[in-house]
Order: sequence, then structure tokens, then C-alpha cells
Amino acid sequence: MNYVHFPVLAVMLLFLTAFLIVIFGRLSSVLRNALALIGSAGAFAMIVYLIKPVMIDGEIISYWMGNWEPVAGYAIGIGYEIDQLGLFFALLVVSTILLSCIYSFKYMEKDSSLEFYYVLFLMMSGAVLGLVLTGDVFNMFIMIEIMTFSAVGLTAFRNNRWGAVEAAFKYLIIGTIGSSLILFGIAMLYADCHTLNMAQLSSILSGNINPASLMAFAMMLTGLGIKSFIVPFHAPAADAYTAAPSSISMVFSGMVNKAGVYGIIRLVYIIFRAMDIRQLQYLLAAFGAVTMFIGVTMALAQHDFKRLLAFHSISQIGYVITAVSLGTALGLTGGLFHAMNHTLFKGLLFLCAGAVLKETGTTNLDKLGGLSKKMPKTTICFLIGAFSISGIPPFNGFASKWLIYQAAFSKAVETGNFFFVIITVCAVVVSVMTLASFIKVTQAVFFGQLPEKFENVKEAPFLMRLPMWIMAICCVLSGVFYGFVDKYLVGPAAGAALGVSHYIDTMMGSGYAAAAGVTDIKAAPAQFSYWDPIIWLVLFVIVLAAVCFVMVTGKGDRGRISVSGKAAEDGKYATFFSGEKSLPSHVSGSDLFWGFKKDWKKYFAVIEDLHSGVVNDYALWAVAASALIIVVLFGFVR
Amino acid sequence: MNILMGLFHILVFPGLLFVCIIGLLLAGVDRKVLARMQKRVGPPLIQPFYDFLKLMGKETIVPHAANKTVFLAAPVIGFASLVVTMLFIPVFGYSAFSGSGDLIVILYLLTIPAVALIVGGSASGSPYAGIGISREMVTMMSYEFPLIMVLLAIAKKAGGAKLLFSLTDIVAWQQANGSGIFHVALIPAALALLLIIPAEVGTQPFDVAEAETEICEGPLIEYSGAPLAMFKLNTAMKMFVMTSLFTCLFFGGIDTGIVAVNALILVAICIALTILCMTLIHAVTARLKIEHLFKFYWTFVAGLALCSLILVWIGL
Amino acid sequence: MFKKMIADSMSKSPWIYHVNTGSCNGCDIELVAVLTPRYDAERFGFKLAGTPRHADIVVVSGPITTQSKERLLRTLEQVPEPRCIVTLGSCPQSGNVFKGSYSVEAPIEKFVHVDVAIAGCTPKPEAVIEGLYKAARILKEKREAMKK
Repeated sequence: MNYVHFPVLAVMLLFLTAFLIVIFGRLSSVLRNALALIGSAGAFAMIVYLIKPVMIDGEIISYWMGNWEPVAGYAIGIGYEIDQLGLFFALLVVSTILLSCIYSFKYMEKDSSLEFYYVLFLMMSGAVLGLVLTGDVFNMFIMIEIMTFSAVGLTAFRNNRWGAVEAAFKYLIIGTIGSSLILFGIAMLYADCHTLNMAQLSSILSGNINPASLMAFAMMLTGLGIKSFIVPFHAPAADAYTAAPSSISMVFSGMVNKAGVYGIIRLVYIIFRAMDIRQLQYLLAAFGAVTMFIGVTMALAQHDFKRLLAFHSISQIGYVITAVSLGTALGLTGGLFHAMNHTLFKGLLFLCAGAVLKETGTTNLDKLGGLSKKMPKTTICFLIGAFSISGIPPFNGFASKWLIYQAAFSKAVETGNFFFVIITVCAVVVSVMTLASFIKVTQAVFFGQLPEKFENVKEAPFLMRLPMWIMAICCVLSGVFYGFVDKYLVGPAAGAALGVSHYIDTMMGSGYAAAAGVTDIKAAPAQFSYWDPIIWLVLFVIVLAAVCFVMVTGKGDRGRISVSGKAAEDGKYATFFSGEKSLPSHVSGSDLFWGFKKDWKKYFAVIEDLHSGVVNDYALWAVAASALIIVVLFGFVR
Repeated sequence: MNILMGLFHILVFPGLLFVCIIGLLLAGVDRKVLARMQKRVGPPLIQPFYDFLKLMGKETIVPHAANKTVFLAAPVIGFASLVVTMLFIPVFGYSAFSGSGDLIVILYLLTIPAVALIVGGSASGSPYAGIGISREMVTMMSYEFPLIMVLLAIAKKAGGAKLLFSLTDIVAWQQANGSGIFHVALIPAALALLLIIPAEVGTQPFDVAEAETEICEGPLIEYSGAPLAMFKLNTAMKMFVMTSLFTCLFFGGIDTGIVAVNALILVAICIALTILCMTLIHAVTARLKIEHLFKFYWTFVAGLALCSLILVWIGL
Repeated sequence: MFKKMIADSMSKSPWIYHVNTGSCNGCDIELVAVLTPRYDAERFGFKLAGTPRHADIVVVSGPITTQSKERLLRTLEQVPEPRCIVTLGSCPQSGNVFKGSYSVEAPIEKFVHVDVAIAGCTPKPEAVIEGLYKAARILKEKREAMKK
């Protein structure tokens, strides 16, 4: 089979099914769902097929639209170019799409005008997939635009709910600022280099960045930063993730902000090859650190399940940006791995939040409680996701965070720069705070006591649990077998970002890169030392087996285990209330972490004031931050 | 033969049995010395063994509000992960599973028992436990910040201009260059770690999470019988794991070459450290409030750790 | 194998939970005195537990006021087996000076079986230690009886 056409076909299939649903979606819900499933599953299958040639054999696929190949070394047509980096993100995108689509069938069944939902969903999916596969800067901009506007539409989809329209409006304004900056940057780049093809841009810009292209770089960096919602631009993300349906929140955090991250990596590592510039490393690392810190502290202060998850999305993107900014193979590996893990566990957590929302009708952390007795399977999925995101070994979050710490600290000791030590310490502290806020959710939603009005809550339906299970299993597997994941997915992607000449040669004809004087950055193999989850797991299981053996053989000797029956009336099994009759009393989300909150009262007052909710302020931040980026780049880099 | 040797490592030395016995012994020493400091006779040295066995023989009540599976599984998972953590800490030159001990990994493995306690307490459904887990989590947030700086200071000191997180290599470095405690730059870090140990273990004055007089033992409130025995054992084992981590990081230079003698020296140092950083502080202080605890760790202890980190960084 | 060890330990580490059912605080102070350096009941492994779930011996002091009766019974129910109930002072046994009051339910044995009764108003710490030690031995017997 000629797989060269698959990338384009996957993108086209998603758009085509979107248009078909516009036409036929009203006829029957079955037809509509079937079309959506065909689109997402088809795209998934085609992209997964590419793992073999691209990831394992190391081939880079190039595809010229209408066979407009470059003439005299100038790329005129639109080219799709799928290197390992692009395919890595494409895999994240298609798996997110497929799982979200399956989840949507049950989750969205009570909403009306669903044909528009699926149209927007597939449009957004196609756009993000196109974005990560394209080799043309302007095509990338178009995809970003489609993505942003369908995302805005989906944010406002449940417009009967509080805040949805407002969130969409904020997203629209900030997103438009981002798009304008990107367009401006692309225009300058085109004026300067007379081409829009990434490979050609890379070979032209390699080593000779002039003020005009530096300005373009600053603009595009800011624009893509807005698309990935790093800190001064993060405010609309929190609102949008909260207001959108959970299946869409998952897509937002799983691929829409990853698209921004992808853009940054592509821009910095491949198009401009600017990662050796130390000031740029400092700038991005500082942005990343601030992002993760503010994200997590804001999450600690939240009272809503989904809003808390939204701030964690921001925080985890901070990790990715920090790791990527280090400019080393280890950092890039850690960053990409964390991006992948973030897609898995954050998607899982958003789906759990969706299941809770669907069954109970609320995501307020002060009203829920004790759901683990009613929704045990969701609870297990949630716990796996929560442990993954807070980096408990042996789940996947730990593996990638650990790579990031290693990368940051080795950067620190190699350069002798104390700044990267601060980054490392910040990353570890943020990780603990992440754990804290997930303990808050665990206590407030799943454990503790069940409020009476939730007595009749049922477990989420199978079709909703299926994607959750898939992601939970992936979380465990990619944590335990991370060497495997690194070898076949993350490693090639990191290698592709560092070794750019193969990318240029595939697109522009062999020898082009060498002629332009492009040399690859030497990619030192990422080192994985001293942590072997398999050994850990084996030892753990042996010890566990020993304990269980003793427990079982000593059954006659040890005291019996008494479990209460169905009736809660027996005083023996009542919760201890200092002798009082036990009352339904639940320690909810906002009651937790009192000492911490008291000590940080001033910080929280300032940070909550800054998140004013006024879109003017947010727009102002975006402009101020872009000004800062421009000043730093012009002031220190040149 | 290899498998038998591995099983011996896991189950006897330095694994399960060794950690349990020495841990309970340390807890006994703690209680005995504390009693002597207060001019009491005190319980017998093996009192923790009695407590453990007695609790094993008692009935386990699973309350109605609790999630049974999680409630019963949490202490066992905490126990197993502590034993495995101990396997990764080298006893001077000798490590059971070489090449798997790493500073950051140890830091994270040590969070698992705490998380098990938190999740177990949370699953018991008691509001007292809710307050308890909140305090436990804040305690964790307070000590992790200085702890990571301590570990980074040691890593930088031992590694110089290259990344060195492996515990085995750190011990090897100490054997070549003298124990960590004799390096001026690492003394503040040692002090900071000494202050972190009681919070990690949860002894007075840092036992806010399990304050029996205010919140009825916090996360442990609904536990009884065997799971409670497990949690008590975990606390005792944490004493040993933390003090032997300290030994590994700051007294790693000692090595007689004979494993049995080394083990005895390790136990002796652990007892000394237990008395120094747990019993002594317990005897002379009263329980802190949670916000004071947080402030103490993020200012004083973190200051010590940062001081050490900077000293190491400027090459002292 | 562990059967004997567990039974032996039963008498060597009794944890106490103290319930005050309207006592005048005299007995309560004496119970605390038992744990002070002078009398040091921790020699025998006695320890005050924070919750009935951890307790082996429940020490009841006071004349069981009507208000506290329900709460006392509820607390007793939550103590895991094997357990001992010890009354401290004369009040729980007879009502002492409160006998005949409309709000006192005095003899505790109307509701629960008492294993050891320590008499006196207030009992001396030596007497308290003696009583608690007896209770600890009863615990061991109960454990042995349970497992037959």
C-alpha cells in the first residue's frame, strides 16, 4: 500500500466527514455517530500505519499538493512533510480524537443539535492534524485559524450553562491576538525569505538571523505561546476548559494546546534553529517555570473539579516548555515524553470529571463527596490519573518528570548556572503541589462521606468507561515500559527536532542542506540511569506476595475483619464522632490545606486579583508579554 | 542460586525482615530513651513488637462510610513500597540491587507511604481523617522543598561538573573523599536533613497530622487491628529508612569491608540519629501548629538547605 | 505459631481509651497521674489512645448522666474485640453522691458487662494501676477464649 498519501488522506477524511455530517447529520443520530466514528477511526488507522516507516525505519515522508515540486531550489507549492516529530504529535492527536469521539456518544446524548457538535469537533481535529503534519508555514496558520474558531464554537456549545459564552468570548479575543501575531510574523518571514516552506526557511535562516526575521520570530513565538496557553496568556484556557463539555476539554488539553507546543518546538528547533542562543533558553525556561508555578497554585485555590484540571493543564504545559527550552537531547526527550503523558493522564482526568458531571450534575468540589462507593471504576481510573500527574512511581508522570529534573539539573551543573537549579527546585515543588491538589479532589469527590442527594448515583456507562480504561492502562504501561516508549516514539521525535538536515534534504532534494551550510546539532543519547520500574515492580510484587502469604497463613491467628452489611444502622460501623450520633459531615475541597493557605494568604490575594476575569486585562497581559519577548530578544540576543 | 540470593535480599537482609525488626527496635529505643529523659522507667525495649503483635490479634472494623478495598489495601501498599525503598539504599559499599538507587527516585519512593496514609485515611470517610490528611499533605509540602535542595547540594558536591544522582556513586565518592559530614559546605544540609527526618516520620513536634489529642489520630482514626498494625510498623520503618538514608548520604565514607560489621555500624548510627533528631526534639518541644510548621520548613530549614546549596555552588 | 505470642502481647500493650460520663474530674486527674513520671504506667505498655478504634481497655469515669449514656454505649460499641471495660471510681458503680438524681443512670452494669471495677472516691494511682493491670490479664484470657 502506498502510505505516502495517508497523511493528507487522514486530514481530508476528517474534513470530509465534517461536511458530510453537515448535510446528512440531521437525518438520523446513528448515521451521524457512524460518520464521526468513521472519520476519527479512519484517521487513527492511517496515522498509526505510519509508525512503521517513519518511527522505526526513520523515513521522512514528503508530499507536494498537486505535485508542485520545488523549482530551482524554491518551494512554491504547499508541501506536507511528516518527520518523526510531526508524527509523534499526530499520534497524540488521532488517539485523542478517537477516544474523545467514543466518549462523546454517551456523554453528549442529552444535548441538542449534536450535528453541529460533531462538525466542529471533526473540523478542529482535522485542523490540528493538518497543523502537525504540514510543512508549510502559511498552511500552518490556516490550520491554527480553523482550530481556534472551531474551538471557540465548541467552548460555547453548552450555551445554556453559566459561563460558556463568556469563556468563548475570552478565547476568541485572546486567540485572535495570537493568530494576528502569527500572521504578522509569517508575513515578515515571507517578505524576508521569499518562501513559506519550513525546510527551505530552515536552510535560509540557519545561522543568519537578521532583525526582520528576529522580529518575525518574536511574533510567532508569542502567537504560538498564546495557542499553548503559557502563563500570561493562560486565563482564557481556564474558562474554556471549564465551560466546554468534558470530551472537548480533553481534546483541548490533549491536542489543542499541544498544537501550540508543537508549533514552538518546530519554530525554535527547526525553522530558526535558535536553541543554542542562551538568552532564549533563559527566557523560555523562565516562562515555563512561571507557568507551572502559577498554574499549580491557582489550581490549589479552585473549587471546581474541571477548573482545577484546567489550571493543571496549564501547569503541565509549563513543564513541557521548561524541558524543551533546555536545548539538550535529554530535555527534549523529557519534554516530549511529558507532553505525551499529559495527553494521557489529563485526558483521563477530564473524562473522569465528565463522568462525575454526567452522573451527579455538578463538578463543585464543595458539594460532592464519597462517590467511590457509587462509582468504583471511575474512582480507580481517577486514582491512576491522579497518581500519574503527581508523579508517583511507577506511573508515567514520574518517568517524564524525572527526565525533566535530570535534564534541568545536568544543564545546571554543566553550565554552572544557578538559574537552572532554581528551575529544578521549582519543578519538584510544583510536583508536590500537584499531588496536594489531587489529594484535594480525591478527598472532596471520591472519598469522604456521600451526601444524601447522591444516594442514587450510578456508575458511568460502559461506552464512557472504555476510553477511560484505555488511557489508564496506557498511563501504567508507558510508565513501566518507558524505555520502549522512548525507543520507538519519543526518541525518534527528539532526534528529528535536533537533526534537521535530513528534514531539509527530503523536502528540497538531497544535498540542499549541506549546500546551505546546515549542520545537525549533535544529539547525545538521552540517558536513563538508576531507575528501572520493572525491577521496582518485581520487588514490590514479591514483598506484597510475602505480606499476603503471611496474612493468609496466619488467618487463624490474626483478628477477623468485620465489614458492615447493607444497613448503616449498626453503631459498631458508624464513623467515630466523639460519641455523638454520626452525622453526614464531609470535609470538602475548600476545607483542606488550611495552614498552607494561611501562610500564603498574601500571595493568593495578589494572584487571585490578577485573574480578574476581565478580558481587557488579559488582552493587556498578552500584549505586555509579547512586548517583553520582543525586548528580550532584541536587547540580549543581538 | 541467584534467585535464592535475590529472595534472601528481599525478604531477610537488607529487605523485609531486617527493616521491620530494626525499625521496631528504633521505635522501642525512641520510647525508652524518651522515658529516661523524663525520669521514667519507660516501656521495655521491645514494646513496639508487643504493640504490633497485639494489633495483629485484634478485630479489624471497616466502617460503613469507608471504601473497603482502598481502606484495607493502603497500609499494605505503603509497607511494601517502604521495604522496596530500603532495598535501593546502599548499606555503605553494599547494595542489594546495585544501580537502581537514585536520589530523586528515593525522594519520590518516600512519598508513596505518605500517599498511602493519605488515601487510606481519606477512604475511611471520617471528617477527623479529612482534617488529618489535609495536615499530612501540608507537612509533605513543607519538607519536600528543603529536602530537594539538600539532595541537589549533595549531588552537586559529589558530582562536580557532571550529573550524579546515583546513591552508589555518592557513597563511592565519600569513600574516596571522606564522609559528607566532614565537608564544610554540606554541614548545613546535614542539619536540614536532620530536621526533615522527624517531619517525614511524623514524630512530635511535627506530628500535627496524627495529633491524637486534637483530631483523634487523624488519618488513622478509623483503623483498627491488622491495618493499624501495618501503619504503626510503617512509621517505625520510616525511622529506619530515613536515618539510613542520612547515613548513606553523610556517613558513607565508613566501610570496614565486612557486611555484618557494616550492618551493625549502620544500626548504631541509626540509633544515635534517632535519639538525636527524634527523641531529643520530642522531649523538649510541644506540638507545632500546622501553619507554624509550614513556615518553619520554608524559612529556617529551607534557608539552611539553600545555604548549603550556595556554598557547594561556589565551590567550597 | 503466632497464637501464643499474640496472646502474650495482649497483656503487655493495653491501650486505654478514657470516657468521662459526667465525672467531677477527680478520677480523671488520677488517671493522668498514673501516666506521669512518678507512677509511669507506660512500664507495662499502657498508652492513651485517641480513638476507641485503637483501644483495648475503655476506662469509664463518672456516674453516667442521662445525656452521656447514649454516647457511652455508642463509643463502647466501636471498640474492636477483644476489649475490657474498666470503671474508675465509685460513681459508675453506684452513683456515689449523685445517686438518686433524676439525671443519673448510675450502675453501669445495667447496660454493659464490666470487667474490672476500681473503687474509691477517688482511687489512688496505685489502685488504678493494679486495676488496669488486672484488666490487661483479662484481655489475654479473652483473646485465648476467642480463638479456641
